[in-house]
Amino acid sequence: MDRVYRIGIDEVPKRLNLNDCEQLRLIFIVMPGVSADIPFEINIEKEGVELEILGLYLSPHSERVKFNITVRHMVGGSHSRQLFKGIVGGSARAEFDGLVYVAKGAQKTEAFQENHSLLLDNGATVETHPQLEIYADDVKCSHGATSGYLNPDELFYMRSRGIPEAEARKLQMISFVSPVISHLNETMQNQIISRL
Amino acid sequence: MDNLLEIKDLHAGIEGKEILKGIDLSIRPGEIHAIMGPNGAGKSTLSAVLAGRPDFSVTQGSISFAGHDLLAMSPEERAWAGIFLSFQYPIQIPGVSITNFLKSAVAAKRKATGEPELSPAQFLKLLKEKMALVKMKGEFAKRDVNVGFSGGEKKRNEILQMAMLDPVLSILDETDSGLDVDALKIVADGVNALRSPEKSAIIITHYKHLLDLITPDVVHVLKNGRIVATGGLEIADRIQNEGFDGING
Repeated sequence: MDRVYRIGIDEVPKRLNLNDCEQLRLIFIVMPGVSADIPFEINIEKEGVELEILGLYLSPHSERVKFNITVRHMVGGSHSRQLFKGIVGGSARAEFDGLVYVAKGAQKTEAFQENHSLLLDNGATVETHPQLEIYADDVKCSHGATSGYLNPDELFYMRSRGIPEAEARKLQMISFVSPVISHLNETMQNQIISRL
Repeated sequence: MDNLLEIKDLHAGIEGKEILKGIDLSIRPGEIHAIMGPNGAGKSTLSAVLAGRPDFSVTQGSISFAGHDLLAMSPEERAWAGIFLSFQYPIQIPGVSITNFLKSAVAAKRKATGEPELSPAQFLKLLKEKMALVKMKGEFAKRDVNVGFSGGEKKRNEILQMAMLDPVLSILDETDSGLDVDALKIVADGVNALRSPEKSAIIITHYKHLLDLITPDVVHVLKNGRIVATGGLEIADRIQNEGFDGING
């Protein structure tokens, strides 16, 4: 099951308890011009759950976006994967606080968390605070975060094929957000691509 | 006939380090020139400067291409004018399929040169035809550009792009490096199929092998940023037997 939350449009629950479903994908979308604090907690209370949380923030101007995501594995044998990607420009600021908590005895938990930001301008800021709190010993958990500018080698490769610079930059941005937007319907994908 | 490419006293480098120290090179329409040389001679710098890679700077000299001042043109303008560089290390672009990449590239070039836009059906027909040239199967076009490609697939993808863009001057920067015999033959066949009396090419290589498959009109030896010898295939034979050490012009 997929649930898409467009921040500023859709109501976002502050907390979910997962005890009846097997598979859930949550997608948070923050469009340009939207500033928001997004606190969200989810407790996995059932074995065999496959949870995926995806997030996209497009903050090219002066937006302030803050995610505060907590995933708690209260029982073992479940998997969670988080991927948050953002494009931040102008004087915008994006912050990602992510806590993965694995309760005592929640063995065979797998929890992965990634946060990647693409910076468009020197004045843009991103901050990422991944945290793992693990009280079980037979688990696989990891987190990773990167931030950087558009890859100049990619840009030159495209331009050398005659793709104009502005379009090449846009293709790079589409490429960057594609792991998140590929899970959205075509209308939403096009809405997002048109705002890059 | 006028030269297609005319390089005069070209000095260029990167990050303040001079790599090319006075290159003179003229290429007429239809000619294939091979540039051979040891590592660090400046072969890749020359190809990067011709394609307009922004991190390289030209400190002296001029390059004229089909009568235009090449150095005043952006990389995309050079592509529209008919220059194509086959990269030694093709770049991965995750999330962008070969089809979409080539659609953007072909559309931009046709727009810039005043040719009518291709319909989706026309584009796919052209793509299919050119993919056959480098023996690529249809599903290949759906893959992200160079992501997870083998060495041979990357180079065939370069030649596919070359075929789709139909350049006047193709620069093959060590297209043969890392290729097995079969992949090398596919690449060479692809290049040979695109030869015409108007089209020229620069083939940069360490080895004579590719030149046995694509016969050059002229062979140059580049050492320490200068062309130290120019002649025919016999130079490639000498390099094959004696190495680059013996060639000093």
